[in-house]
Amino acid sequence: MSKIPFLLLVFGMLVLTPAALSSSDIFPYEYKVEELENGLRIVSIPLENPHIISFYTIIRTGSRNEIEPGKSGFAHFFEHMMFKGTKTVPREAYDDYLTRLGAGTNGYTSDDLTVYFTVFAGRENLEEVVRTESDRFINIYYDEEMLKTEAPVIEGEYYASVSSPARRINELLRQTAFEKHSYKHSTLGYLEDIQDLPNQFEYSQLFRKRFYAPDNTILLVVGDFDHDELLAHVRTHYGDWERSNYTLVTPEEPPQTQAKRSHFDWPSATLPRLAIGFHGPAFSDEQIDLAALDLLSEIAFSNRSALYQKLVIEEQKCLSFYASFSDHRDPYLLTFNAVVKKEEDLPYVEEEIFKAIEQVKNELLADDILADVRSNLKYSFGSALGTTDGVAGMLASFLSLTGDPATLNKVFRLYEQVTPQIMLEMAQRFLRKTNSTVVTLSGGKAQ
Amino acid sequence: MKSQQIPIYFGLILLAFSLALISCAKKSYDTVTSELMPLADSPLVGFRILLKVGSAHDPQGKEGIGALTFRMLVSGGSQNLTFKEITEKFYPMAAGIGMRMDKEMSVFTGTVHQDNLETYYAILKDMLLNPGFREEDFIRLKTNHLNYLEKTLVGNMDEQLGKEILNLAMYADHPYGHTEYGTVESVKNLTLDDIKAYYASIFLQGNVIIGLVGGYPADFPTRILADFSALPEGHTPSLVLPELHMPHGLEFVIAEKQSPATAISMGFPVALSRADDDFFALWIAGSHFGEHRQHLSWLFQKIREERGQNYGDYAYIEHFIQGRGKFPATNYCRQQQYFSIWIRPLANSNRHFALRQAFRELKLLVEEGIPEERFKLTQQYLINYTRLYAQTLGERLGWKMDSRYYGYDDFLAEAQKRIPQITHEQVNTAIKKYLNFENMYVAVITQDAQDFKDALIANTPSSISYANPNMPEEILHEDLIYQEFPLDVRPENVRIAPADAFFQNKGVPADTR
Repeated sequence: MSKIPFLLLVFGMLVLTPAALSSSDIFPYEYKVEELENGLRIVSIPLENPHIISFYTIIRTGSRNEIEPGKSGFAHFFEHMMFKGTKTVPREAYDDYLTRLGAGTNGYTSDDLTVYFTVFAGRENLEEVVRTESDRFINIYYDEEMLKTEAPVIEGEYYASVSSPARRINELLRQTAFEKHSYKHSTLGYLEDIQDLPNQFEYSQLFRKRFYAPDNTILLVVGDFDHDELLAHVRTHYGDWERSNYTLVTPEEPPQTQAKRSHFDWPSATLPRLAIGFHGPAFSDEQIDLAALDLLSEIAFSNRSALYQKLVIEEQKCLSFYASFSDHRDPYLLTFNAVVKKEEDLPYVEEEIFKAIEQVKNELLADDILADVRSNLKYSFGSALGTTDGVAGMLASFLSLTGDPATLNKVFRLYEQVTPQIMLEMAQRFLRKTNSTVVTLSGGKAQ
Repeated sequence: MKSQQIPIYFGLILLAFSLALISCAKKSYDTVTSELMPLADSPLVGFRILLKVGSAHDPQGKEGIGALTFRMLVSGGSQNLTFKEITEKFYPMAAGIGMRMDKEMSVFTGTVHQDNLETYYAILKDMLLNPGFREEDFIRLKTNHLNYLEKTLVGNMDEQLGKEILNLAMYADHPYGHTEYGTVESVKNLTLDDIKAYYASIFLQGNVIIGLVGGYPADFPTRILADFSALPEGHTPSLVLPELHMPHGLEFVIAEKQSPATAISMGFPVALSRADDDFFALWIAGSHFGEHRQHLSWLFQKIREERGQNYGDYAYIEHFIQGRGKFPATNYCRQQQYFSIWIRPLANSNRHFALRQAFRELKLLVEEGIPEERFKLTQQYLINYTRLYAQTLGERLGWKMDSRYYGYDDFLAEAQKRIPQITHEQVNTAIKKYLNFENMYVAVITQDAQDFKDALIANTPSSISYANPNMPEEILHEDLIYQEFPLDVRPENVRIAPADAFFQNKGVPADTR
């Protein structure tokens, strides 16, 4: 079986439009990319999927953009304000429109992006969605009082996960590992900044001007619609949106020169936790660094790895263990996370992780495992694409990184080029002890 | 002659027909059955192997045995393969087996590409039909269960804790009355022999429905059914559940722990399920009052949108588990259902106010019904929104299986037909028939529990302050009503215990005050 039909089959539930794809493409759908004069990019993937359309607005802004002191959590807060309506379609009318549409709708914010989505049935509703969404992004309106009312909701969101030690250790790892870069804080932000949100009306206007503009936005539409019809609607309704021309300069993170540690005493019962982070490379669809580290993490630290089997299954020291080398626009952390069953085993687990890290820096990994990993990535990718939302969600994260849907295919081509030798070199370059941060959390002790 | 023969033949035919019926009845009760959804174009195959046994079937004193047994199947080795070997074999396929358990059913799920179907199925079959029941897997998974009960549930997830405590309060002395994980005491006493014996007692053909969806070969269902026919014939009788136990007044259970935020879940049993005609009318009411994580929710509008008190506030007319996106997950069917309200964590200083708000809004709903325009809006909403429910292979099959449970061929198609026919009057009648605001179980996770109890009993006014100095007059006016809204809370109806005292044994722990 040749690769193209094979891949089309992998994701076949939605595939009804065979595309002129090159043989090395993992992404099986034909997509079109258009750009309006104001810089708004439109990525469209028409599928003959019954009735459903996923309409995504991707703002290439996240907590990474919160570069000024006291502004942590602002991108996420602004996401909330984007549901407040406009002068022509106030909040109540906007809510009613979504309700009549029966749409699944929401937004989410992470380090590098903010995504708004509306999933709805019926292509006859497309124009209304384009019109209403364009009005919302171009003409969003709220006054200071509305902002003050919404601000405590973020505190409520903070409270919703205040009992989660997983969130706390992630925050602590960032705080400890980063010195300058805005990745130092989580997307939710510091509590003191969240509590100051009611006083940030003016800053919110600046934030909007900088980042909620066509040259920082991508529309991604997947599902049952006609491309030309979509484009005509978008031209009509988004054409007058003004560019921002703002260029963000994120603070450069200085190289880490010595190992760091930190600990948090959790106030109530919990299993102890350990997180280790190494400063890694930024995402790239051209440099092989992070692609090689991705494969390395699968081989040496996934649930099929010797280390996982030892710590979780055989010795049963850990409830869970995983590595996460996530994609970010700027250099982020390569992290290792363990939930440990007994506090006294924390040092042992840490030692075992570092031993396994030393091993991948000194010994070439076997080729046959690499084949297994490539197979896993291919089938994982395929199973994520069962719905219009699955396709849009997957592509949105890549679009946020480079703005180009071809990135996804490029990354999978990089995976094909990774060799054991390259993985060894990347491990030696990034997984240095002096580049590491270890944080622990254990429970039952009052602070 | 002829006139005499006809009745004889007719009688013989009737007899044969009756025997066939009896045989069918035996077949459907004691042998494995299937729910098949072939989709020739799909390269994927989805499995939902449903077992008509849930945590409510756990024998007395062995609460948690079902969940631990099933985790031994999906997170332990088979007779032929260790769990490590299984993990290695599944890895290149990016496949695995999931398990979800509810009160009366459990489901084993998996999706695999056609390329790997035979290899995958061989392992799946081996895991479910020839479990390894190794001591080391048992120790690992039992420890995980205990850790969940003793640490994670009581220490790390207050929203889930609130829901589980509501369940404890609502289903005291009822087979639904324990979490699937059981209790610390019951799980500690479980042995590997208990697990083996339990597996043998419930892995019976008649308990199993093989659900298959996607592009599987034509002969595949026959092969699976033949394989599962190796299980003993028989079935576990459907549970005969006690009468619904309505709360007498407002019955509070407060789990006390140090935290800046308070989590609240409350509800009461309702004698209604999807099988009932009234369900569709009450569905519109529930969606209007608290559609899960949607702006439509009236409670969400009052508590979050107007006042910014927390992240969200919802209501449900049946047990709800969130699946993909915010849509309901499938295979959580129950004989008995309950109405509930979920108030997400909010600042301790606002706990009394928000609780009063929820009660007052519920009172208005019960006494005045839904406004006409909200009825129309919600009706339209549900017609469109439910069209998004069944998209993935697993969702389509899951909804099909749940349809059968409640006596439909296709429940979502039925909803498309029935919802437009519901009248405003039917909705308001259903509200009055099934909902109330005076009898409610209320689970609260909070600190300074005694102070809260005192305030509840004394009906102490609970004012609220805002960051916005210019809140709209109508909101401030409504606040005056909320903050004084009387709740009839009696001292004997408020039980307080430390959070970590829960789940040690069955039921709500004794009040330590």
